[in-house]
Amino acid sequence: MPLNLVVCLKQIPNPDLQFSVSPDGQDIRRDGLNYKINGSDEYALEEAVRLKEKNGGRVVALTVGPKRAESILREALAKGADEAVRVSYDDPAAFDVGKVARILAAAVRTLPHDLVLTGVQSDDYSNSATGALVAGILGLPHVSVVTKVLVQGGGLEAWSELEGGLQRRYSVGLPALLTIQFGANTPRYAPLPAIMKAARVAIREIAPAALGLPSWDAVALPYAFAVRGLAPPAAKGHAELITGSAEDQARKLAQMLREKGFVRR
Amino acid sequence: MGKDILILAEHLEGKLAPSTFELVTKGRELAAQSGGALKAALLGLNSGGLAQILAGLGLEVLHADDPSLAEYTDGAYEQMLLSLLRDVAPRVLLVAHTSQGYDVAPGIAGRADLPLVTSAVDVRLEGDKLVATRRLLNEKIQGEFELASDKTFVVTLRPGSGKLAEPAPGGAVTSVPPSVDASKVRTKCLGLERPQVADIDLSSADIIVSAGRGIQKKENLALVEDLARLLGGVVGASRPLTDMEWLPKTRQVGQSGKTVRPKLYVACGISGAMQHVAGMKDSGLIIAINTDPSAPIFEIAHVGIVANVLQLLPAVIKALKS
Repeated sequence: MPLNLVVCLKQIPNPDLQFSVSPDGQDIRRDGLNYKINGSDEYALEEAVRLKEKNGGRVVALTVGPKRAESILREALAKGADEAVRVSYDDPAAFDVGKVARILAAAVRTLPHDLVLTGVQSDDYSNSATGALVAGILGLPHVSVVTKVLVQGGGLEAWSELEGGLQRRYSVGLPALLTIQFGANTPRYAPLPAIMKAARVAIREIAPAALGLPSWDAVALPYAFAVRGLAPPAAKGHAELITGSAEDQARKLAQMLREKGFVRR
Repeated sequence: MGKDILILAEHLEGKLAPSTFELVTKGRELAAQSGGALKAALLGLNSGGLAQILAGLGLEVLHADDPSLAEYTDGAYEQMLLSLLRDVAPRVLLVAHTSQGYDVAPGIAGRADLPLVTSAVDVRLEGDKLVATRRLLNEKIQGEFELASDKTFVVTLRPGSGKLAEPAPGGAVTSVPPSVDASKVRTKCLGLERPQVADIDLSSADIIVSAGRGIQKKENLALVEDLARLLGGVVGASRPLTDMEWLPKTRQVGQSGKTVRPKLYVACGISGAMQHVAGMKDSGLIIAINTDPSAPIFEIAHVGIVANVLQLLPAVIKALKS
């Protein structure tokens, strides 16, 4: 059964970086950050491409973000997406998941979709909300934290991971939305020719007008959102640091482990 | 809009989730701020016993018991919650930020067009505003976010953020007629599955030496294994390593893996993402080794070493052997 697949991707700052807060406290300092595709979105993309390869159909890679986010769409094209769409909401911070999800849902509505996939969470803001929020807005059945998907008859079977490694197995009618868990598959590397080809593909842009909006400020929200302020977390700081050269640190740690009786004799 | 606070109880295999007891504590604070009552929704099948336990914490439990609610599905829960939101019109619907919470809270917020904040480590009401404290960017930044609305705020609270509620008088169970039109539920739970793998039981180990992405290559696991052997412990891992199948899934410590409380936990090259920390933060002595001084693992570690594990571990092993 061929599927119209839409995979929602997010470009995020590499979370391994160090971050500081901008002077007005409303965002992080963004100069000098490098950006990458969100971790679990790579698994969502891979799942979408595999479902297409197995069942036929088409994969549209969709993102909401500034121009720089086109790089992750090209990555998606190189890995097997058939079309790339960027919604041009270009707030670099975009802290309000409700607004982003409403924009994303409006964009998904304009695309044929039997199955919408997202990553389980974004590693920058960690809301774990975008997927189910988009599904709720669109009235789609949804399953989150999915580790395995099978097309079964006219629908899907999906395994959802719970705390402690337990799984719930679901059957889901289509159209539907799934959020894909880390490790659900092994994402492929893009072959060089595909990367070269993807670099030349035109990326479709969705502007507010295409969604019936005069501007991105006109997105209807049932609330007003504001950033009160960002700060480094108050250091709980009870870690006693062992300092010195690696040799010193190793010696001190070995001594501590001995003193506390943790070393087998 | 009413003033009550409604929490959504979570349960699995006949037990209330520990996070539900934290919701009661936080819900009580919010109810004091809104001037309303704290109520809980408990949806399930043959779940009267759980409703009684929950009511024993001193709150009114709105209990719906129906075959359509035997296991969580988005469709049945959304229908029940929509009906409860109409009846109670709570100021806040509070849900745990768990695997199920990721699904149900945004789902209902989308369906009913409600304001949503997820993964809050703290939350409070200030008049018509809800203020949530959240952690961003691998715990390296904390933010306060404000939502102003006259609609029900949907909030998920990160497990481990608050105290567990203790039994208190004054609770009651109110039966709520199930209002699920099964023909409109397009997600069906086919069953629970527990992966059966024969391996050591990490949760019973006294000493765990865990490896994270900082070990860089599978071959370097040998260093972690050597240290574990010298300490009479076992090897654990953070999620990325078990995802890459460097170690079996049974060795994964964290929210979706094992929760452990060993006497000694040595975190080697683990940054300390929330999902990992949730599974080991109550260990007796936590020693963390990481190159990044801003890594969140140092927030919960008792002893921290800012160093490259690949240089430090050989030196420690040598020192322990001498």
